[in-house]
Amino acid sequence: MEPKLRVENLSVWYQRQPALKHVTLSVEEGEVLALIGPSGCGKSTFLRTLNRLSEEQVGVRVTGSILLGDLDIHQPQVDVTQIRRRIGMVFQAPNPFPFSIFDNVAYGPRLQGAADPAALRKIVEQSLRQAALWDEVRGKLRRPALALSGGQQQRLCIARALAVNPEVLLMDEPTASLDPLSTAKIEELVGALRGQYTIVMVTHNLRQAARVSDRTAFFLDGTLVEVGPTRQIFTAPQDSRTEQYLTGRFES
Amino acid sequence: MIRQYLSDQLVELEQELLRMGAVVEDQLRAAVRALTEKNSALAREVIQEDDRVDQMEMDIERRCLTLLALQQPLASDLRIISTALKIITDLERMADHAADIAKVTLRLENEAFIKPLVDIPEMARLASSMVRLALNAYVHRSIDEAYTMIRLDDDVDHLYAAIFRDLIELIRDRPDAAGQGTHLLFVANYIERVADHATNIGEWVIFMVTGERKEMND
Repeated sequence: MEPKLRVENLSVWYQRQPALKHVTLSVEEGEVLALIGPSGCGKSTFLRTLNRLSEEQVGVRVTGSILLGDLDIHQPQVDVTQIRRRIGMVFQAPNPFPFSIFDNVAYGPRLQGAADPAALRKIVEQSLRQAALWDEVRGKLRRPALALSGGQQQRLCIARALAVNPEVLLMDEPTASLDPLSTAKIEELVGALRGQYTIVMVTHNLRQAARVSDRTAFFLDGTLVEVGPTRQIFTAPQDSRTEQYLTGRFES
Repeated sequence: MIRQYLSDQLVELEQELLRMGAVVEDQLRAAVRALTEKNSALAREVIQEDDRVDQMEMDIERRCLTLLALQQPLASDLRIISTALKIITDLERMADHAADIAKVTLRLENEAFIKPLVDIPEMARLASSMVRLALNAYVHRSIDEAYTMIRLDDDVDHLYAAIFRDLIELIRDRPDAAGQGTHLLFVANYIERVADHATNIGEWVIFMVTGERKEMND
């Protein structure tokens, strides 16, 4: 089967500073891929380059290619908005808009021209159901999103990302600001979305990577050290640097 | 060193495992000595000491489970601890076999041997040296030592086959020796099992070092 995303020889610089060096990595359709590594290893840069978010910073230079299907997403003629519709993102801290719950989820579809109220209601309900939030907010859709708990806000952000029917979902430490119970709900949700969506997740929580991902990629100093089935990476990694990182004996 | 506590705990785990291994090795030697010397007192001691081995197994098991739960080890740390959990099971079975041999000794208390015991003590010497070599391989994290030890299992198997042949022949010629002959066959079988358990430990050492499971017993 063709991979969903094919990253080839990707390098990223911030000004003169290399942040990613010659990374080649494929993401399979429907898999959950976890990106792990110490702070500053390039995993977040890698994630943010997958939907061209990294280029929002000044002085960023990207070489190599990222293929979504046949489309090289870094070609200048490519419409960034289209890319970000196909490759959605959920951030570290929940960032709902200061609108109602309904309007948060309807935001993307409306931008794309959906106007029929019945169709919008259907999309909103379906997205909230997929994000395992529907049962908690049904009947309260007109309430402000910011009145929800942190864990609910994060699931709302996932619902918002799902509402435009993306193919790939990028998650940047999605549970970093959540308590253990909300974290467990998000992890369960990732498990439920696996298969339907291709998910790439950065996490500092090794246990989380072990619990939710099919494959794990270990980054260090801007290079991809090792990628493999999560089961294998966490029990018998091939590279001694991965070994040192996982056993917590890493001295950087 | 980061994670000093876990490193210290792994050293302690290793030492406890070695202590258990030393006791099991003593048990095996004592059991076979009690048999050849017809020493019932020593055989009873071996049977009693088996409880101590069981206790050691439970202590090490609890230590491993605590480390798994609280330290959440990964990669080689995880393999070291899961290997220890498997090794203690093999050690405990060996001690059971030592006790089994001691029980045979008590049954034969009042009988003269139907033949001089030569191959059985030799087989026991080999098997208990395999136990020590297996634990050395564990401590040294040495695949080579594990393989060297595992090869001794062939010698044990050959001796077992020879003992089996001799005893069957003897039983055929002297039906009155069938009872004791069968007991001695059991003893040889227990020793053969001990060597198999040592081989298992060798396989676990190979797993611990390489992350790959290899099946050597056939």
